[in-house]
Amino acid sequence: MRSYWARRAAGAVLVLLLVIAANFFLFRIMPGDAVSSIVDPRFSPEAKERMRELFGLDLPLHSQFFIYVRRMLTFDFGLSFLSQRPVWDEIRSRIPNTIALLGSALLLSSVIGTWLGVHAARKRGGFVEKLVLISGSVSFSFPSFFVQLVLLLLFAYTFPVFPLRGTVSIPMPQGTLNLVLDYIMHMVLPAGSLVLLGFGSWAIYVRNLMVKTLGKDFILLARAKGLSEERILWNHAFRSALPPVLTIFLLALPGIVSGAVITETVFSLHGVGKFLLDSILGHDYPAAGAAFYILGLLTIFSNLVADAAYSIADPRIRVGRRAER
Amino acid sequence: MKSMPRWSFAAFLFILAAGLFGPLLFANGPQSTVAKPFAPPAWMGGEAPPPLSASLSPEQPSLSIDWKWTAPENISIRGTVLFDDSPANASLVWKTPDGKTFILGSFSGSGEWSVDIDARDVAFKTDLGVAPFQSALGLLFPSQGNIRISIEGTSPSSGSLDVTVPGGKWGLLGTDQRGRDVLSLFIAGIRVSLLVGIAATLLASLLGLSIGLASGYLGGVIDSLIMRAVDVLLSIPVLPILMVIVGIWGKGLWQLILILGLFSWMGTARTVRSLALTLRETGYVENLRSIGASPFYILYRHLLPEVLPVLLATISLGVPGAILAEAGLSFLGLSDPRVISWGRMLHEAHGFGAFTAGAWWLILPPGLGISIICLVFLDMGRAIEEMADPRLLKGGRR
Repeated sequence: MRSYWARRAAGAVLVLLLVIAANFFLFRIMPGDAVSSIVDPRFSPEAKERMRELFGLDLPLHSQFFIYVRRMLTFDFGLSFLSQRPVWDEIRSRIPNTIALLGSALLLSSVIGTWLGVHAARKRGGFVEKLVLISGSVSFSFPSFFVQLVLLLLFAYTFPVFPLRGTVSIPMPQGTLNLVLDYIMHMVLPAGSLVLLGFGSWAIYVRNLMVKTLGKDFILLARAKGLSEERILWNHAFRSALPPVLTIFLLALPGIVSGAVITETVFSLHGVGKFLLDSILGHDYPAAGAAFYILGLLTIFSNLVADAAYSIADPRIRVGRRAER
Repeated sequence: MKSMPRWSFAAFLFILAAGLFGPLLFANGPQSTVAKPFAPPAWMGGEAPPPLSASLSPEQPSLSIDWKWTAPENISIRGTVLFDDSPANASLVWKTPDGKTFILGSFSGSGEWSVDIDARDVAFKTDLGVAPFQSALGLLFPSQGNIRISIEGTSPSSGSLDVTVPGGKWGLLGTDQRGRDVLSLFIAGIRVSLLVGIAATLLASLLGLSIGLASGYLGGVIDSLIMRAVDVLLSIPVLPILMVIVGIWGKGLWQLILILGLFSWMGTARTVRSLALTLRETGYVENLRSIGASPFYILYRHLLPEVLPVLLATISLGVPGAILAEAGLSFLGLSDPRVISWGRMLHEAHGFGAFTAGAWWLILPPGLGISIICLVFLDMGRAIEEMADPRLLKGGRR
């Protein structure tokens, strides 16, 4: 178990370093450096040089990189070009919204997808299986923003059930309960659309895994023992298919983070993804770098959570044998 | 081997033909204005006037329009007529249903008379006695009834003047926020989706093929390094990276294809690697090695042909990913604004008030277009996969 965690943690640190390195080099290949975008062309060469010194741009590349890593790890992202405020102040209020969107979408689509997938595997050729196959094709081929635009057109314009945009109504509702309800109303369409698009592929994977598992000998043995179908399905078949199901989570995660960026744009949510887009379109490089970094961190963190769940679900890891993945 | 014809192959050929030749069906090109902004499709009916175009010529020196609607957005009269008589004196006369007469333009002299009238021109408005910020169309179309346009005076000998009134409804799919024909834009968008989808996937497959073959056949440290890299790349969300790179590097179409190709080879590499691993252990490869064949020769002459059918399937299955990524980036506004693509159409629909105009015809066609093209490639990929089942490679046939 120790070695498993050591490997996972090392992997996470490696990805984190890669994200930081990508950030560092991506934003350095653009023409000019951080100084040339703020100095006036009329500055004397000495003044420019002093500015470069101030920003540490006269140091060799590797020491610049170490300084950069330290700043990223302490969330010191510098000032935004657009608002002239610290980027961290801008981005901090957006993180909870992104986490709420990602979390609810992941949780709901995994629960619905797993449930449907298991039932599709139990009754081959039944209604549930057809539903799963169709929704799987839909989630592989329908662009998320298109589905979201149609939902927006239907449920916010034609039948105004849900709010059009943003995370809170203006003026803000009074009272904690009303605030929470208002927040939920704003989240139904964004999170719901992500679930609608996400559960299909999930259900297909689970169905395929379960079909394979249900054909194995130990299921035949459980049937021979006279156990109830429900018990065989969940306690025996699903229990043994659970670890690979959790690896689907790892595979699905990057796609869902990408989907969240688009979702936040469609619904104008006050989130990190929308911030990333606005910063890129406004050429606000410190802000774009920070948003990219935060999205990377969220992915890495969710990966670790999935790994933890995996280690609990797979007894081979719990008892310390070498995991085979 | 099954040789069952699948619907998707026919659909693919149809889409390919539409992408190649479809734009030729439209005389004006997709960027030209044909009707008022957000004009609904013509078949939806309603109280809007259809687009109108007619011409004044020597054979037909006067036109009569039966106008049954409120004033249109604009009217334009363009063209050249020639006079044989010299000197010629002619004028363009507009008669409204309530009997008023306006002289829209006049000519005296000899030879050629060029007319270029747009009712939104300030000079035209002041000639009619309308303030520059007011519309002249209320004067020209004061009420329902018969409107007469004619060339009075010397009659022209040749040439024609084209009168166009943009309609309040248009064609099969209406118009967008700039009054462009949505059907024409939609057909033009096929090209971009096909080009980006296929070119980016070909690039990715080429990369994935060479990396996967090298990784699987050579094994050892190279293999584990490459597979680690694949794991890492697969665990990072690609869209934010693409956004950052496009934002820094530029929004060109070829840059987009290159970037998409560079970030989607991982799946192919994995598939090819596992195939190469299996093939490496087969008897004939071992025999090849024992007679001294070089790794490059084995890879190129023996493993590559074995892998190709599978590769064709992964290409077809990979195209939807590239198409969706392109559409996503275009939707976010990170594409060349001069290139018409389905993602761009949705971006403009979202950003320029298609919702408040209730213009569903701006949202459904491009969205369904992307979905259908992706479904076609997915189904084709599955069909090819069935034909080139890797199990055939291992057992049976050999």
